[in-house]
Amino acid sequence: MRATNKLFFILTVAVLLTGSGCKKLLQEQPRSQITPAFFSTANGILGGIAGVYSDMRFLWGTEGFTNITTAGTDEVLAGGSASGSYWWTYNNILTSDGATTALWNVAYQDINTLNGVLQFGSAAAIDTATKQQYLAQAKFLRGFYYFYLVQTFGDVPLHTAFITNATTSDTRQPIADIYTQIIKDLTDASTQLQVKPTSPFLGKPATQAAALFLLSKVYLTRGWSTAGSPTDFTTAATIASNLITNAATYGIGLNPDYATANAPGNEYGQETLFVIDREADLKYGERTTGSRASGSKENGLNFFFRPNYPSVNANYPASGGAAIMTRDIANGRPFIRIRPNTSYVLNQAFVDQADDSRYSKTFQTVWIANTAAVTTPRGALTVGKDTGLWTPPYEVPAAQVAAFKGVIFTPLGTNGANAYTTVIFPSMSKYDDPNRADVNDASTRPFVMFKLSEAYLIAAEAYFKANDNVNAAAMLNVIRQRAAYRSTNTPAQNATSVTAMTILSSQVTLDFILDERSRELFGECQRWWDLVRTQTLNERLQRFNPTEAYPHYSASNPANAFMLRPIPQTEIDLVTSGPVFPQNAGY
Amino acid sequence: MRASLLLRKFLTIASGALAIVLFAQALSAQNNTIRIKGHITSTTGQPVPNATVLVKGVHAGISSDESGNFEVVAAPNATLIISSISFTSSTIKVGGRTSIEVVLTPSNSSLDQVIVVGYGTQRKKDVTGSVVSVSGATLQEVPTANVISSLQGRAAGVDIVSNSASPGASGQIRIRGSRSLSAEVTNYTPSTNAVLTAANDDALNAPLIVVDGIPYGGSINDLNPDDIANLDILKDASATAIYGSRGSGGVIIVSTKRGRPGKSVMSYNGYYGIGNRTKEYKVFNGPEYAALKTEAAAGNTINPGTNAYPLTTAEQAGLANGTSTDWQKLIYRQSHTTNQNLSLSGGTETTQFSLSAGYFQQTGIIPGQDFTRYALRGTIDHQISRKLKIGVNMMNTLGYTNSGGNPVGGLVRMSPLVSPYNADGTINKLPEAGSIDGATVNPLSIKYNSAAIVNNNRRLRTFNSLYGEWEIVKYLKYRINVGLDYSQSQAGTYSGPNTFYNGSVSLAAANETVTNSEAYTYTVENLLTYDRTFKERHHITFTGLYSIQKDHSQTSAFTGTGLPADYIQDYNLNLASSIAANTTGNPGGGNFSERGLISYMARLNYAFMSRFLVTATVRTDGSSVLSPGNQYYTYPAFAAGWNIANEKFMNSISAINTLKLRAGWGITSNQGINPYTTLGALGTNFYNFGPGTAGQNIGYLVQTLANKSLKWQSTTQQNLGLDFGLFKNRITGSIDVYAEKTNNILLAENLPTSNGAVSTTVNAGKTKGHGFEIAVSSINVQTASGFTWSTDVNFSVDRNQIVQLQNATLKQDIGNQWFVGQPISVIYDVKKIGIWQSQDAAQATSFGQFVGQIRVEDLDKNGKITAADRQILGSFQPKWIGGLTNRFAYKGFDLSVVMFARMGQKVVVPYLTTDGGAQGFDFFNNSRNNQVKINYWTPSNPTNSFPRPDASADKFVYASTLGYQDGSFVKVRSINIGYVIPSRLLTSIGITSLRVYVTAENPFIIYSPLVKAGLAVDPEGNGYGGAVTSSAGGNVPLRAITVNLNAPPVRQFNFGVNVKF
Repeated sequence: MRATNKLFFILTVAVLLTGSGCKKLLQEQPRSQITPAFFSTANGILGGIAGVYSDMRFLWGTEGFTNITTAGTDEVLAGGSASGSYWWTYNNILTSDGATTALWNVAYQDINTLNGVLQFGSAAAIDTATKQQYLAQAKFLRGFYYFYLVQTFGDVPLHTAFITNATTSDTRQPIADIYTQIIKDLTDASTQLQVKPTSPFLGKPATQAAALFLLSKVYLTRGWSTAGSPTDFTTAATIASNLITNAATYGIGLNPDYATANAPGNEYGQETLFVIDREADLKYGERTTGSRASGSKENGLNFFFRPNYPSVNANYPASGGAAIMTRDIANGRPFIRIRPNTSYVLNQAFVDQADDSRYSKTFQTVWIANTAAVTTPRGALTVGKDTGLWTPPYEVPAAQVAAFKGVIFTPLGTNGANAYTTVIFPSMSKYDDPNRADVNDASTRPFVMFKLSEAYLIAAEAYFKANDNVNAAAMLNVIRQRAAYRSTNTPAQNATSVTAMTILSSQVTLDFILDERSRELFGECQRWWDLVRTQTLNERLQRFNPTEAYPHYSASNPANAFMLRPIPQTEIDLVTSGPVFPQNAGY
Repeated sequence: MRASLLLRKFLTIASGALAIVLFAQALSAQNNTIRIKGHITSTTGQPVPNATVLVKGVHAGISSDESGNFEVVAAPNATLIISSISFTSSTIKVGGRTSIEVVLTPSNSSLDQVIVVGYGTQRKKDVTGSVVSVSGATLQEVPTANVISSLQGRAAGVDIVSNSASPGASGQIRIRGSRSLSAEVTNYTPSTNAVLTAANDDALNAPLIVVDGIPYGGSINDLNPDDIANLDILKDASATAIYGSRGSGGVIIVSTKRGRPGKSVMSYNGYYGIGNRTKEYKVFNGPEYAALKTEAAAGNTINPGTNAYPLTTAEQAGLANGTSTDWQKLIYRQSHTTNQNLSLSGGTETTQFSLSAGYFQQTGIIPGQDFTRYALRGTIDHQISRKLKIGVNMMNTLGYTNSGGNPVGGLVRMSPLVSPYNADGTINKLPEAGSIDGATVNPLSIKYNSAAIVNNNRRLRTFNSLYGEWEIVKYLKYRINVGLDYSQSQAGTYSGPNTFYNGSVSLAAANETVTNSEAYTYTVENLLTYDRTFKERHHITFTGLYSIQKDHSQTSAFTGTGLPADYIQDYNLNLASSIAANTTGNPGGGNFSERGLISYMARLNYAFMSRFLVTATVRTDGSSVLSPGNQYYTYPAFAAGWNIANEKFMNSISAINTLKLRAGWGITSNQGINPYTTLGALGTNFYNFGPGTAGQNIGYLVQTLANKSLKWQSTTQQNLGLDFGLFKNRITGSIDVYAEKTNNILLAENLPTSNGAVSTTVNAGKTKGHGFEIAVSSINVQTASGFTWSTDVNFSVDRNQIVQLQNATLKQDIGNQWFVGQPISVIYDVKKIGIWQSQDAAQATSFGQFVGQIRVEDLDKNGKITAADRQILGSFQPKWIGGLTNRFAYKGFDLSVVMFARMGQKVVVPYLTTDGGAQGFDFFNNSRNNQVKINYWTPSNPTNSFPRPDASADKFVYASTLGYQDGSFVKVRSINIGYVIPSRLLTSIGITSLRVYVTAENPFIIYSPLVKAGLAVDPEGNGYGGAVTSSAGGNVPLRAITVNLNAPPVRQFNFGVNVKF
């Protein structure tokens, strides 16, 4: 027994000693997460910038963001399944809305990260030239975010230093100060960024050309604002026209065909200045296949403008008969969120479809039968050959209606055709993605944000505001003459259209410029800002959106209060020290 | 040769024994006494060993043996008094019988009971803290998969809320309510701002579970309830302070069964159960669904008269021919539960052992859901020498959980107007074809395409504790406890195409994941105990402790997309068309965390003649998760007790047998934050610059701010208690009153995002709480014929409130949903006061609203509904909780009924709301899909309960207000009827005791306004979170338990036996 006692004693002492040697038990060594000091390395700077680019996916391409940039304007009306109804009607807009909250949160989170990159990164041990290019990315992105914040919310907090200590107070700064900072950042970026995309910033990230584009738009926007001065318009015009003149230097240029600019696979084409990237790769594209998670970063723009084409039955409008169309990749996933405001689109913006090719390059009007054994009262449909659904932008003669085997929807539904409904309407097709694996997949296409074509429109608006209608018309004519081109026309037919599309300086008005922007940029997630910038929201809603948006807009908006979106309620609630964080007027 | 020698010896002994028995019988006949054989069992059929059997009027008693048998010689008209620790004693008239079956009723309040108080034991009468003990026998009255759900309603101050009805789910447990405010931030999406996880809330507020002295983390499902001998729950700080930082949420000490000296006993416990859903979610039937669509068109506020979701051709036909499919009925199935446990225990005076093997299997009522547990356990206790003792407990469990999917929300959505089958009897694959949800695959695919649905988790856990005890000198003992808890789990999911869960059509969209996790905890405790009585009146026990603990966990997870065939499932990621580290979680794919704890503790117990009792404790903990410099904290605790009944002046009061006053004060603490919080971490994401791999990058973002000066949170608690025993201890019980204050609360604080980060972790704020608890056990009726009726009742009230926020001047922090003077979790929103009625149309218009929409209170009377109109609408804290167990026993029959009530709390029902985003019920009241049946407004039904359907709205104003409901309920938890078969019928077949029983689990709900209104199937929560963002701004805290569309609770009937050999 003695031996056992000893053994026991030895074991005990051994355990005790092991224990007392365990002071290192209280030291922490993380192994699965990265700490903020990482930003002071070259990889850290690149990682911070990539992180900010990735964060933009929470905005462009998501449903809420598409609503706040597109809904409640002259171009569109609520589709049958539209979300966020108050963005369409201006009735009881929620200050807690997720889309405005997301823009606010993403922007400020990214701005702080960029401030960290700029602060830590300046000390990073990398060569000066590379470092300057990296840090210029951060400046571009900071300017970029402040520009969207100031346009959307007005006076906003301005932070240019890295915040590492939590505070619960903040204050809004005048838009003049915000614009000053934006112009400073973008001016730096326009000289310090690389001229053309180079590794590691491949594709179409920020370049000098993108910075100049944005800078011209910032000057134009400030010019219109209370912080602006007349010289802003001339500066904007100069920057934009210089960008156009020197396009070759930056490796950019207009496509000869309007359709090419929006074609799938051409997102990195010569006309593109800046994209928010996406790709099919599930990890780096941050997407799933087979479904689309809500609240995600996926690009759903290929869904939102889709009518509910699979719901039309063969006997339509009577009941009975098989569904004419089946959901497929080519025709897309019907979300029915956004429909074109046909009275504006067909009677105002795209009224000239003979010479202007852009309506047919913006909207899908024909659905080829894709379902077997469908017979309408007018005959059996052959898959892949017959047109199952047709949504022409005009009224079809009665004889043609009677002879058509499929189902026709026209703007008014005369001559035996059916009228467009809230679920069946021409489908905006710019964001189609035929290269998805599954019909329910979100888009794998990058979101093209800045295009050279828009630089012409910026320049035209700036020249117009600077009372130079000759140059304004010249800029518009470049875009309009390109729009005349159809690959199916003969050169002579194209030449005739070019002549017809050319305008005189006397034709340049603000309305004309805004209509031209619709023709060129329909549905491209900026219309609401266009109307706000040009202070035409009230007037154009009254003229073109008189039943859905205008009644509530005007009734509850005595002083154009809805020219700003509401500050997210969470921000107001969470500022718990210092002065109360004020809400925008009208909310 | 040898065998025959043995046989001869045996025969000699046997004949000798026979002679003695015969002689004794002869003696008894001579003295007009009879020899009575008895057998003692508990109400659950377990034999009761070591019970004391006294013949009334005769002083000497005997004890029952390991099988519960006893023999006693007494007069035929004698009265026997049978008592045992943790049972109510029983008085039985012999009445000339020579064979007696005795059934003892478990009791939680016997004062001679030995209580495990942490690092030692005490007799209940010497305990100074607030401790409640629940025996394994009591728990078995509610047979469930895990011990926590058996505990529901069984102990005062212990509040257990189930949070899922799926097999293998556990529950949320709080002892004396919550103290901490918040949690870590995960699942961050910019549109919803910060989202807090409940899991971490559990880490902060849940009790510490200790099994045989070693802290037990992780899933309680790994513990086989049949291995549990006893639970002791330490509630007040004077008792929990010895567990220091981990004891702030209370402590549950689990003692497992161990061997005893004597004949080896083999026992078998088993039951088989069949269950069915208690209820289905009530949805609109075919014609009602069609009417909803019509009304939603009429109520369309954007395009009046239109509905984007008209009846499809098939639905029109269905309406015409009377189709009204009950999709839930088609999917729910009968559930089956099997529980088998075999154990063997016994030993000699120096070595005792126990071995047990358990098998538990439960299938859920939803196809694809089941839970299986294999448990194997062995204990050895061995006295090496007079001074040395060692022992080991090795518990091994292998658990398989198949979670399947949750189809309930989807089933509720399905159109009742379509048929699941085609006219020819084949499956109608796309029943909703032609509608916007036409791609929805028939829910029956859950059954016919089950190979495409995998969601399993296999966990192997081995929990080992080893101790050695050395009596260094007389009175002084050294003990070492070493614990090693190791678990490894592998989880896999597969979601193939063409199922109800994954409507995609191609295998390219198949998803499969594999997750591997390893976790271990080791604990080494060194204890020194000095236990001595001086001059027969001063009893001193000193306990000293030095311990270390390390927790480690590590996970890796991968996702594959696209597979060549369904049957590959999650077995070979190599066949996936793409593989990536699982991006969910932050950082995705892998996780590593470790935390360390070093502790020193000293405790002194002093008792003066069992009249005055004093306990003093001090403990120091050092934790790795806090900032260097703030890592150590010291907790003192004091308690005193006065056994009034032992005073002379009480001798004359015969009605009072026990009366003890207890008072305690102590500090506990909390370090339940995640490791590395003080270091800060960057959020990660992914981006591609251009197409191709060259531009692919990992991105980093600052999302949370590190706090480099985090320190301990501490709770000071006072407790005053009274234990009593009246009328020969027929009525026993205790009353406790307590108050507590918590300072420097560790909390994740949401920040204004304009400052660049979503949240940070801070020490801020103070809360206070108070409450009282009553537990009474009484023997209401006890007749000479053997009928007993006893009752255990417990009742508790807990109130907590926030006393101070981040700084003394801040009275409310709306963004974090904290309000000074209010309970910790409240609902803050605009208040629904009805529905806008036709006669108020003009007023509705002035608010920008339509008749039929939700009308909310304009608190500031400014003619506009703004954020300023939000108010506190209620709290998730129950007004009271209570439990009632009634037991009846008569001649081998026993009956127990367990009831449980939780009253006065709000619950959130997200599926009665919508926010158009991730939370709530998408397209609620919009008629796109079917939904839970509600009483909605129409011009001809001017109700004030639910608004008019509106086909234009994916969310409607103030929808969040519809989800706040009264969650009060009174439930019958179980009814248990058993019969102990008389042992005389059994001995011949070698069985010592046999009890058969039938149990009904969840037989019925007695009271629940929510269920009565038809809006829910169960008032208890079945998940965390999911509450919608308020229309007026702000989130309901995710720490609130919500009632979601999930598997309905199961009403289960079990048939079981308890056998001893």
